[in-house]
Amino acid sequence: MFDAVIRNLPFLMGGFWVTVKLTAFALLGGIPLGILVGLGRISKKRWVYYPVTFYVNLIRNIPLILVIFWFYFVMPILVGRPMDPFPSAVISFIIFEATYFGEILRAGYQSVSKGQIEAGYSTGLSYIQTTRHILIPIAFRRMLPSMITQSIVTYQDTSLAFVIGLPEFVRRTAIVDNLEVRSIQLFGFVAIMFLITCYISSVVSRRFEVKREGGY
Amino acid sequence: MIEIRNLSKWYGNFQVLHNINEEIKQGQTVVVCGPSGSGKSTLLRCINGLEPFQEGEVTVDGVSVSDPGTNLYKLRTEIGMVFQRFELYPHMTALQNIILAPMKVRNKSKKEAEAKAMELLHRVGIPEKAHAYPANLSGGQQQRVAIARSLAMGPKIMMFDEPTSALDPEMIKEVLDVMIDLSKGGMTMIVVTHEMGFAREVADEVIFMDEGRIIERGTDISFFKNPKNPRTKEFLDKILL
Repeated sequence: MFDAVIRNLPFLMGGFWVTVKLTAFALLGGIPLGILVGLGRISKKRWVYYPVTFYVNLIRNIPLILVIFWFYFVMPILVGRPMDPFPSAVISFIIFEATYFGEILRAGYQSVSKGQIEAGYSTGLSYIQTTRHILIPIAFRRMLPSMITQSIVTYQDTSLAFVIGLPEFVRRTAIVDNLEVRSIQLFGFVAIMFLITCYISSVVSRRFEVKREGGY
Repeated sequence: MIEIRNLSKWYGNFQVLHNINEEIKQGQTVVVCGPSGSGKSTLLRCINGLEPFQEGEVTVDGVSVSDPGTNLYKLRTEIGMVFQRFELYPHMTALQNIILAPMKVRNKSKKEAEAKAMELLHRVGIPEKAHAYPANLSGGQQQRVAIARSLAMGPKIMMFDEPTSALDPEMIKEVLDVMIDLSKGGMTMIVVTHEMGFAREVADEVIFMDEGRIIERGTDISFFKNPKNPRTKEFLDKILL
């Protein structure tokens, strides 16, 4: 019943690997950038707050598919040479996801008691030390469930990179389907793969929620 | 040790501190009391530079707090501060709370910082809680960890901002005992509190503040026996019952 899938398994799994890689790069870049974006959004310095807020509002009000599309077609004009779909997709995802992670973390930062920050200052810690050892870890732990949810969304969204011809999982499945004409079987396989991996991630995420030390 | 001269502070148009003058000598314990909103906490926060002020001068150990050339971070290592709501870092154990600043600010090795932290936990009476998270400690235990955290930097001055106000009655004593111990050990202390028993036992001076002004001050005995200001008398009657 999965004959077409089995015949093309290496090719399909190659696409799955591209999807996993794209997700990994998007998160490895998007979360650290999101940490900074969140800090910018609570900054009292206007020259930090306004540009960051502009960036967040701009990106969050554009569909992801357009960000991927525009970046791919605009970058060559700016840098003077065409860009490969994979790095282009990675950068688009980092730019896009950082705004979402940034807003999640902004809420996390704002939930940290002002007193805990002042306790840090009163022992002589600098702004950077207080932010790094107190503000970010507390916010991150508190927001971990939302961060994991957003990571799963990122993973699911990677298939949108098909618009620039990136041969990721869904794209490769569509190619196979053009030859084999077994749509239900092939896209059923894709759905099952996403279902299993996302479900496992959400179970892991719930474990984190339970394991977290209480009281904050 | 601490000199406050003509200190005034405004929030917008609202004046929270009016021309405060006070001098605290090394080894003295000064108790600050007064109704809420009278500027007690703000006064403490001006001393370690957590809040800026517009007029007057505060010098700590000869260093001006408002001088733009002053390294406030360095100054704060000399001034421990204990908060009403403890403000322990919730993601760290008691021990980690205590060693953070010594390791990051003073560049102490982990081993050295931990040895000092354990010594301090013994001093506040809860060495067995070293590896407990704040959420698993009682209020009194949390506050004692917070005191140990401040002491870990080896401050010359300790400031307490209503350290027992958020505690259940049966836990107040365990915190006050630690503070009395510190005061008798020669620490320079400013304590915002309404624990008049504490004031009687260790205060060298008691200050009463109302609406941003120091309206009465005295050595402990004179303060309680014959307050000159009717507002002080009224307040004392209320809290001493």
